[in-house]
Amino acid sequence: MKKGDAIFFSRVLETLPITIPTTLPETVLYSVQRQKMFIENRKDKGEMKKKVVSVLLSAAMITAMLAGCGSKTEAPAGGDAPASEAGAEASAEAGASAEAGASEAAAPAASAGEGKVYYLNFKPEADEQWQTLAADYTKETGVPVTVVTAASGEYETTLQSEMAKSDAPTMFQVNGPVGLNNWIDYCYDLTDADITKGLTSEDYALKDSDGVVRGVAYVIESYGIITNKKLLQDAGYTTDDIKSFDDLKKVAEDITARKDELGFAAFASTGMDSSSDWRFKTHLANLPIYFEYQADGIDKTEAIKGTYLDNYKNIFDLYINNSTCDPKELSAKTADDARNEFLDGKAVFYQNGSWEYSSLSEKYSDDDITMIPIYVGAGDEAKQGLCTGTENYWCVNAEASEEDIAATLAFMNWCVTSEVGTKTMAEDMGFTIPFTTAEASPNVFVKQDADNTAAGLKPVSWNFTTMPSEEWKNALGSALTAYAAGTGSWDDVKSAFVDNWATEYSLNAQ
Amino acid sequence: MAVANMEKKQESKKTRMINLILTVVFSLFCIIYIYPIVMILMNSLKIESAISTSTAFDFPKAETFAGIANYIYGVTKMDFLSSFFYSLFITVSSVVLIILCCSMCAWYISRVNTLASKAMYYLCIFSMVVPFQMVMFTLAKTADTLKLNTPFNICIIYLGFGAGLAVFMFTGFMKSMPLEIEEAAMIDGCSPIQMFFRVVMPITKPTTISTAILETMWVWNDYLLPTLVLDIKKYRTIPMDIQYFRGSYGSVQMAPMMACIVITIIPVILLYLFCQKYIIEGVVAGAVKG
Amino acid sequence: MLPARFSENRKAERQMEKSVRKYWPVFLLPTLIAFTIGFLWPFVWGIYLSFCKFNTVNKVTFVGLSNYSKIMLDNTFVHAFGFTALFTVASTLLINVLAFLIAVLLTRGIKGTNIFRTIFFMPNLIGGIVLGYIWQILLDGLLSNWGLPLLALNEKAGFAGLLILMGWQQIGYMMIIYIAGLQNVSPDLIEAAEIDGATPWQILTKIKIPMVMPSITICTFLTLTNSFKLFDQNLSLTGGEPAKKSQMLALNIYDTFYARSGAQWKGIGQAKAVVFFLLVVVIALIQLRATRTKEVQA
Repeated sequence: MKKGDAIFFSRVLETLPITIPTTLPETVLYSVQRQKMFIENRKDKGEMKKKVVSVLLSAAMITAMLAGCGSKTEAPAGGDAPASEAGAEASAEAGASAEAGASEAAAPAASAGEGKVYYLNFKPEADEQWQTLAADYTKETGVPVTVVTAASGEYETTLQSEMAKSDAPTMFQVNGPVGLNNWIDYCYDLTDADITKGLTSEDYALKDSDGVVRGVAYVIESYGIITNKKLLQDAGYTTDDIKSFDDLKKVAEDITARKDELGFAAFASTGMDSSSDWRFKTHLANLPIYFEYQADGIDKTEAIKGTYLDNYKNIFDLYINNSTCDPKELSAKTADDARNEFLDGKAVFYQNGSWEYSSLSEKYSDDDITMIPIYVGAGDEAKQGLCTGTENYWCVNAEASEEDIAATLAFMNWCVTSEVGTKTMAEDMGFTIPFTTAEASPNVFVKQDADNTAAGLKPVSWNFTTMPSEEWKNALGSALTAYAAGTGSWDDVKSAFVDNWATEYSLNAQ
Repeated sequence: MAVANMEKKQESKKTRMINLILTVVFSLFCIIYIYPIVMILMNSLKIESAISTSTAFDFPKAETFAGIANYIYGVTKMDFLSSFFYSLFITVSSVVLIILCCSMCAWYISRVNTLASKAMYYLCIFSMVVPFQMVMFTLAKTADTLKLNTPFNICIIYLGFGAGLAVFMFTGFMKSMPLEIEEAAMIDGCSPIQMFFRVVMPITKPTTISTAILETMWVWNDYLLPTLVLDIKKYRTIPMDIQYFRGSYGSVQMAPMMACIVITIIPVILLYLFCQKYIIEGVVAGAVKG
Repeated sequence: MLPARFSENRKAERQMEKSVRKYWPVFLLPTLIAFTIGFLWPFVWGIYLSFCKFNTVNKVTFVGLSNYSKIMLDNTFVHAFGFTALFTVASTLLINVLAFLIAVLLTRGIKGTNIFRTIFFMPNLIGGIVLGYIWQILLDGLLSNWGLPLLALNEKAGFAGLLILMGWQQIGYMMIIYIAGLQNVSPDLIEAAEIDGATPWQILTKIKIPMVMPSITICTFLTLTNSFKLFDQNLSLTGGEPAKKSQMLALNIYDTFYARSGAQWKGIGQAKAVVFFLLVVVIALIQLRATRTKEVQA
């Protein structure tokens, strides 16, 4: 930005082949002064000159030395990832020999000795755990694993810029069929990989149109309305009282009416900051899509009709009108704000998913909290379960070197089969992983989902993976934010939902 | 005579009144001007839950005062010190390299009148107009291919992309320098290299300072270029760090973010207050000259 | 006499040129190499890629002009252009008028001039990303206290916010240049005008402004290009919200490039960048011609 700052076009114009007569009194004056100055300089400061030269020279030398030291101390400077430094060098060599020795190294997972792993993680809430797990793996096997976590909402941006680099992620994730479509050229064939064989169900393998496995789901999650049982009791209700949208509305509005007396609100803030808006533009928006797909008997579409948008409006209205803050302030409310409100007992309900368990369990015991389905007044509400599914499919970068691919496959497999790996994923990250070797997760929301299924409730599947693009979600998010604040109308939301769906699909086809 | 004097006195009284009012007005204006920085400082001392849009202007109270906890958290969590070091290193190495190489290049251009040197000059001017978005993707890829993606050699990229401005400024000044001194030095038996370092460099000191200031301000604050070029697995600069506070690790941490903003701008302000004379002269010299 | 000295000079000059020319690997080459890496090659390659479809450079297919025809597809580019143009005009006017006004007042020799100058210049040293967040916090605080919608859903506030931010950052810088220009106006000239009975207003419009025309050229050029190419501040202050309504061209291109997935977008982004570059060149040339002509008349 600063670069343009000193473009002084007096000179440019003099030199460019555009002839405009110019008069520059200041410039002339100035250069005369300058000339006088340096002639004086020369007379009086003959000694000075030498000094300046030596200072400049020594400055240059010091910099050169610093640069030298810098590159030598490069590895220690990288501190936490010295292994990956060495690995990068090793792989550079390995990369050079990769083509020559491709046939030898063609057996993936046979030996991961040479390769390295670079995992671009999607889940910021599990960043620390991934770093630990990666360090454990490196300690155990000596294979360098680097985990970089993209900022919330920046996964696609980071993936795009990282994939363009020569040292690209070897392991990344796509969110489902739509995501796969964009990255299909870069997804390694996982059909025969060990990790695919370990899946509990073939449904968790993400296949392309030819039936080739390109991605593997690594976590099954549920979301719904997390409920503080104690507060609900204080308000005079139990979760048994909420079995439909009408029940939920009645309870929520009753709590709002007695807000001052009770000292808490019904819903935690429906934050529309980018750290939080996915709860509504993606997760909540899944419900109208799900019910439409159910009604039409389809599992994807290029033209959504928006049959259940009124239900979407009802639940969203309920959220924003019975919450801890004025709807106008929602645009700046973050994920932290909502979580803190729930943790501080300022709200009974909090729409989020099983991934929140680890942060909520620090304050609440398993008996204090539970998760109820998001009722929107559509379908058979008596049989509605939590929203359960996945948008997290691991892919291996097909463009990586053979060694790196082998190392990545080995690492993935280790995560879901080894004791350390399964334990970390289940306990520390609170994940339910769809593998036969999985450790039971202590996650109370996951248990709730299992109980629901056992009781004959039907989980709501995750259809938001068929949303046309990130762009579509963002536009919907903006429209929702504006609607909540009263600066936009519901018609804008409708248009962002229905019209934009078709537009984005047509753009994807370009 | 007396009347004229009286008039003059009255007028100077009037002028003094106006000046006094102006001083007051400007003082108030200055307070408003530095208020944003004061506000950040204030908020960086609050606990996270006390920071929200509606309470942004409140002073920290006993129950919301967080001390330096945010600073400690921000610095440790983000590994802020190493980012600071990288930013500093990148800035110093790039600016030194730019000054050295570009002044040499500019001298060559101003003293040698060939097609090649002319072409180089026009290309440099041209490069100043080109927006970064035009080259961001290909530049990132080129830097990556050549492994110029660490803080220790990214200065070459900065030299390449920043050369236009520096060469332009140096050439402008050097063309106005009389040749006599250099000729005298040559007759004394100086080789061009000696001549450059002993004669030309000292004379160009004013331009060197203004160019160095402009380039420093650019490199230190640059966000997009290091984001796209640097190996983000290992290195982050300060602007990247600040951007990371938004939304990384699943949350927006306003309090530590503001603490880090304060740490970021304090050295800049201190440096400015100490070298104010040079900086302002540099800006003026750069603008009037050129 | 004179011709003889002149030719002697020419001889020495030519001799020097000859001896310097041999040293091109020392003087020219390092910069040339870096310049090729950091600018020339990426620029040429960028133009080529604007005619291609690609996701990473490993798979590039030539598609001719189709990227250019698709620029308008997502209709954000046109809006971004309008927003940028409006912003550029507004900020150029605001910054230059205010900076010039302050410069005039600060050259009167009032008390505290140095302190004022120091403070006004200070924000210029703070980086765009940081500035954006500072102002986001401040403006959101103000808006919420006034009960207005916050920046993220308030296009007008976003526009005003960017304007205030740019003003805060750049007024000091431009002021310094104007002060230098005004100080160069000869006091004799002003005194002479005063004796002739010129009013302060006449002195300002008839003497001071024409005399600082070169400074005005520089400052308008700087504010114009800075505003037109604005990126960091836009990214951190509004991020383009609401719904890309406050998105400027540079951010729009970045967004097309990196935030949209799918191979088609990179080529379109690159094509947008080429158009953007051409716009910058055209605007710079028009502005220079315009202010230059005024300068000559003065």
